[in-house]
Amino acid sequence: MSQKIREHVQKLLAEKKIKGFLGLREEGGNIMPHLFCDPKELDHLSLGNWKKAGDTRYPLNQLMIRLTMNYPEETFAVLVRGCDERGLKELFKWKQLNEEKVALVGLGCPDELARTCECEKPFPDSLLDGPKGEKADSQKVARIEALDLDARLQFWRTEFNRCIKCFGCRNICPMCFCNECSLEEDQLVGTGEIPPSNPTFHLARAIHMVGRCIDCGLCEEACPADIPLRTLYKKVAEIISKEFGYKTGFSVDEKSPFNIIEVK
Amino acid sequence: MTFLRKLLEFSGIHPDRLRARWVSSAEAVEFVHEISEFAEDIKKLGPNPLKVKAREAA
Repeated sequence: MSQKIREHVQKLLAEKKIKGFLGLREEGGNIMPHLFCDPKELDHLSLGNWKKAGDTRYPLNQLMIRLTMNYPEETFAVLVRGCDERGLKELFKWKQLNEEKVALVGLGCPDELARTCECEKPFPDSLLDGPKGEKADSQKVARIEALDLDARLQFWRTEFNRCIKCFGCRNICPMCFCNECSLEEDQLVGTGEIPPSNPTFHLARAIHMVGRCIDCGLCEEACPADIPLRTLYKKVAEIISKEFGYKTGFSVDEKSPFNIIEVK
Repeated sequence: MTFLRKLLEFSGIHPDRLRARWVSSAEAVEFVHEISEFAEDIKKLGPNPLKVKAREAA
């Protein structure tokens, strides 16, 4: 499966087009992120357990930001799925990464995974290997919308009540690149209590996901309390798409709704 | 505003509990009108469900 990707990366490295390739490496049964700088290392290249969500996914884009901060002059390649690529497009727009210094190595997700994720676009434009899957419809959002207002509030309050404020959702998020975080501001969201202000804490984070969340689902996977964060942010993306006609991460040129002043 | 109202609705909070209006400091009548109307609407909606829940828990 990863033969195509391996050959492609080998070529990029041999031609010195890239300094390194940020992907996944398998060793002793464990899969971890790894920066491949030597073509010989590519024998250990892994695509993770790519048929399933979870376990072997890492915020590679987040690592890319740190990497390019230390080596701003170098070009690196990175393994991307549909969601990762959407993330990169937003990160280019937000000037967190330089488009010219990032080479994309695209991997498409199988239908089963796309359905689990309820993914809008389960393949990257830079597709190199893997299927070009179909858009999967979201039922999770619809399930909550079928409830009346009281039941919705009850649902979310119960979910948010399990929050232990570990900041796992924020820390793993490839789009959370702010140096200062509103969630740590006592005056915006009360600090020093667990669960954190319910529902303010999670709604504040949801608002900050406007034009940023690219629906990779890492937050939900990282959450030790199994809070359905992805469903909440899927709704955020849906509102932005329906009301403002903006699809997060689908284009590099189109500006985010925060940059557009509405004239009536 | 559009976004916040939709998000509140999804979270189970009536969107009419949130309102934004531009009123200049010279428009006292307009200000009184907006606030009175908002207060009326809020009374119709009843107490804030978040505060009710907190009181019940206490």
